[in-house]
Amino acid sequence: MLFHYLDLSWRSFKRTPMVSVLMVLAIAIGIGVTMTSLSVYYMMSKDPIPSKSKQLHHVQLQTMNDGNTYWSKDDVPFQVTYQDAMNLLNAPLPYERTAMYKSGFSVHLDNDQIKPFKEPTRLTTKDIFQMFDLQFLYGGAWTQQQQDDIAPVVVISKRINDKLFNGENSVGQSLYLDDMRVQVVGIIEDWDMSVKFYDLNNGSFQPSEGIFIPITMGPANEIITWGNTNGWKNESDRTFSDLLVSESLWLQFWVELENAQEKADFEQFLMNYMIQQQSLGRFNREKLTANVFNVMELMEYRGVVKEDNKIMVTLSFMFLAVCVANILSLLLAKFLRRAPEVGVRRALGASKWQVFYQHLVEVSLLGLFGGLLGIVIAQLGLWGVRASNGSYNAIANMDLNMLLAAPTIAIVACIIAGLYPAWLVCRTTPAVYLKTQ
Amino acid sequence: MSELKPIFNALRRSKVGAILLLLQIAITTAIVSNSTFIIKEKIAYLDQPTGYAEQDIFSFEVMSFGKDTNFKLQAELDEQALRQIPGVVDAVMIDSVPLSGSGSSSTFRLRPTGEKSKGEQANVFQGDEHVLNTFGVKVLEGRNFYESEVMVTDNYDQYPNIALITKALADSLFPDGDALGKSIYRGDFPVKIIGITDMMKGPWLSSERKDRSVITPFVLARKLTQFMVRTEPGRRAEVMQQIEPLMLQLDGKRVVENIKGLEQVKDGFVAPDKLTMRMLLVMVVVLTLITALGIFGLTMFNINKRTKQVGTRRALGARKSHIINYFLVESVMICIGGLVLGAVLAILLGQQLMQHYSIAKLPLLYVGFTALGVLLISVCSVIGPAQRAANISPSVATRTI
Amino acid sequence: MLTMNKINKIYQTDMVQTHALRDFDLQVNEGEFIAVTGPSGSGKTTFLNIAGMLEPFSSGQYLLDGVDVGRLNDNQRADLRNQKIGYIFQGFNLIPDLNLFENIEVPLRYRGIKAAERKRRVEQRLEQVGLASRAKHLPQQLSGGQQQRVAIARALAGEPRFLLADEPTGNLDSLMARQVMELLEQINREGATIVMVTHDPELARRAPRNIQVVDGQLADFTLYQGNPAAAVGA
Repeated sequence: MLFHYLDLSWRSFKRTPMVSVLMVLAIAIGIGVTMTSLSVYYMMSKDPIPSKSKQLHHVQLQTMNDGNTYWSKDDVPFQVTYQDAMNLLNAPLPYERTAMYKSGFSVHLDNDQIKPFKEPTRLTTKDIFQMFDLQFLYGGAWTQQQQDDIAPVVVISKRINDKLFNGENSVGQSLYLDDMRVQVVGIIEDWDMSVKFYDLNNGSFQPSEGIFIPITMGPANEIITWGNTNGWKNESDRTFSDLLVSESLWLQFWVELENAQEKADFEQFLMNYMIQQQSLGRFNREKLTANVFNVMELMEYRGVVKEDNKIMVTLSFMFLAVCVANILSLLLAKFLRRAPEVGVRRALGASKWQVFYQHLVEVSLLGLFGGLLGIVIAQLGLWGVRASNGSYNAIANMDLNMLLAAPTIAIVACIIAGLYPAWLVCRTTPAVYLKTQ
Repeated sequence: MSELKPIFNALRRSKVGAILLLLQIAITTAIVSNSTFIIKEKIAYLDQPTGYAEQDIFSFEVMSFGKDTNFKLQAELDEQALRQIPGVVDAVMIDSVPLSGSGSSSTFRLRPTGEKSKGEQANVFQGDEHVLNTFGVKVLEGRNFYESEVMVTDNYDQYPNIALITKALADSLFPDGDALGKSIYRGDFPVKIIGITDMMKGPWLSSERKDRSVITPFVLARKLTQFMVRTEPGRRAEVMQQIEPLMLQLDGKRVVENIKGLEQVKDGFVAPDKLTMRMLLVMVVVLTLITALGIFGLTMFNINKRTKQVGTRRALGARKSHIINYFLVESVMICIGGLVLGAVLAILLGQQLMQHYSIAKLPLLYVGFTALGVLLISVCSVIGPAQRAANISPSVATRTI
Repeated sequence: MLTMNKINKIYQTDMVQTHALRDFDLQVNEGEFIAVTGPSGSGKTTFLNIAGMLEPFSSGQYLLDGVDVGRLNDNQRADLRNQKIGYIFQGFNLIPDLNLFENIEVPLRYRGIKAAERKRRVEQRLEQVGLASRAKHLPQQLSGGQQQRVAIARALAGEPRFLLADEPTGNLDSLMARQVMELLEQINREGATIVMVTHDPELARRAPRNIQVVDGQLADFTLYQGNPAAAVGA
């Protein structure tokens, strides 16, 4: 019966092509606008690392003495100090952890073939690769030994490897970061993600770094951060060694906790740590606070989805509502004109429910067409978004979920619009229209 | 308008079409008035005067990787070479570029740390005596730095104790207008104000401290630096082309990147706002079209449904103008209903937006103008169908279909 | 009252030219009650439409109360319709969104009559057709006969001197048809001129003067006035 109704719907579509096209256009434009803003919203808010987002936890410590404020909503600084990062890294804990910060270098091979280029670099520990599910194409992470020995080693992404070594296995090769010669130990797949969740301090939608070196190289070579440094205490920060022992906040710290128990244990550990630090004259405050957020909690806390986008989504759905009202009125016109035909069907034995169902099939078909065309319009819209804001390149896209959502929303919208008109026609009493013809 | 009552009664009796139209107009009014307000706010934000001749200024980054570069010397050489390019008005090595979204800021107080006093967050620019001329910003009171006061160094062991501050910062710290010659404190460190400058926006246009800046005569020569150059009007493109070769000729062991006009730098920072503005603009235009189309369609539907009625009215002596008036009055009536509901919705939506987001209160003027616009559009989209209705021949009244 | 001289009406479509009226001549005098009969497609309705100025004619001359209709513009024709002609349709043509009172009021509104006067006249007409108690009802709440009575009340509301009726009983059963016919006769006695198109010979016989339209031309039976049997025989 469904196929019969689909056939009827298609005929009905062809019989009033003008009205049908208008309806499809209306829903398509509505879906196009809605999906454009919804896709951006969805990509911003979607889990960037579904396999690990529950385990990976970002650590914030309230290091500031009482009386100081910060621009986070709970006054807790976003980043940690170098001394806290090292203490937490070296503490005897069973959890995988990593501390990191962003810097950058002129990258070159000390020859004329490759023009030197500037590349952001992440200083971190060897565990980052495993924690964040980074896949090695060649080689692997540096060893703990190399990290402790401040060995000049580097892991590069496929993109950098393509640029410097034509994509060949370059493990064992050397490259230069400024005037530092480092040896490649591993090449990873490009770390592509919608949101740069592991370091949200310099824009949420920046690309990830293509070069990774041991964090121990930082102090040894006085490698300054390219990210934010926030200070609250009046203390000397003139030299790099000043910075290392200061209260300046400039590193990110992540820990992998498998379950609630581990999280609770780790939070307890942090509490004890802060109390212990108080005895050293730090953490001069009444209430000790530490934030241990998993990935999604962190994104919510940092407000990754911008206000503007939330407003756009709200307005788009209202826009869609206008389109639905439009379709509703067009459907009313279309269906009511057909009332005599329905009278005949009813007289021939069609039940109310069958008539209702037939018309809902018809509006669903309209929704499907509108949804498909809406995807095209949304692609156009997203292209406009990317053209307007380059940093949204990874965000302004539709993934499979959104591609499926478009026709689904369109069909649901059309069915909502079609319910009343369909109910009106199916109420048609067979006799009324047979008489006057 | 003696026709009002029966038209209204007729409307009451054929509700659905009217209600749909009314809702559509209401939602449109709510969206459009709020959107245009946000658009206007965004445009005001995007078009605010920055204090710079953006079209004549550009900036670039230089990153050195040579082992033995003498950064202090190189800085002087670079600046001199840049200033000698024909068409260049002035050039300066600077730690952060205005409008770029990247820079530094500090709190400056009237008294040193430990003493309670008024303080303000301000952006800090570090560079030599050429900063102001490169920015194209005037000194309003006091004077610029002398060359001898500028510290060129590669560390923070010493820091200058004089500064230029913007008028906005001076006014906020010294409301009596006596900032010149006073000292302000960064932590315990006193800085004497030797000059007050005209408006110059800081690195973060979105920040509330965008107008409050401090310039210190301090050149930190390091491997990663930035330069800004102001050219004579119209000659910027030509100068920009020469930058990379020139800088690499002066020292080959470095990377010259991000050679960008100041308005491009600004565009990069305001891109999300610009995007929002554009999306809203598209939405308002399309929505208006859709609503007009909806009104048009519904009127056509109404007229088709009432062809016979129109013919009868004509047969009973209605002039064409009566018929046009009838449909105009009818749609204006629906429209006014929609606009009243729409105004309420607009204000509610505005309140919601204000409550949840950092958006100012929707001025009623926007609702008013939007309502007027929607009314105009709906009248325009009714005129066509109404004229068509007026042309219905009275003889349809005698036809049986 | 009404004079038609050599009226022609040609309907032109892409393919065919239909001559609905040919050299149609007719003189109707004040106070007459005329029944127009004829086979379907003969041009009865076209004649009535032209008489009621509902559609233009192709050539000829039509004088209504001395006014040359062919020289009037659309607005003047509308005003003339409003003042001089009452039209009764086969399908009643009541406006479904308006109640009885408002329906009858329609022509009065177009004439720009004040509300109080309108009320008086509408109530008088409702009384006349026996539906005063149902003024607030909508047309679809009435039977066919009642609807036609409302339509007649509407046609009479403007006190026209000339009443055109197109198959006024076509959609009614015989009892209701007789009632409507009696109403028309009463109106005629009160002074209005009536031209009624019908294909019901019994009704036609009740009219003092019968004319027959055949193939767009007129066959007048005035001579047989008072001898209806002869008319039927023809």
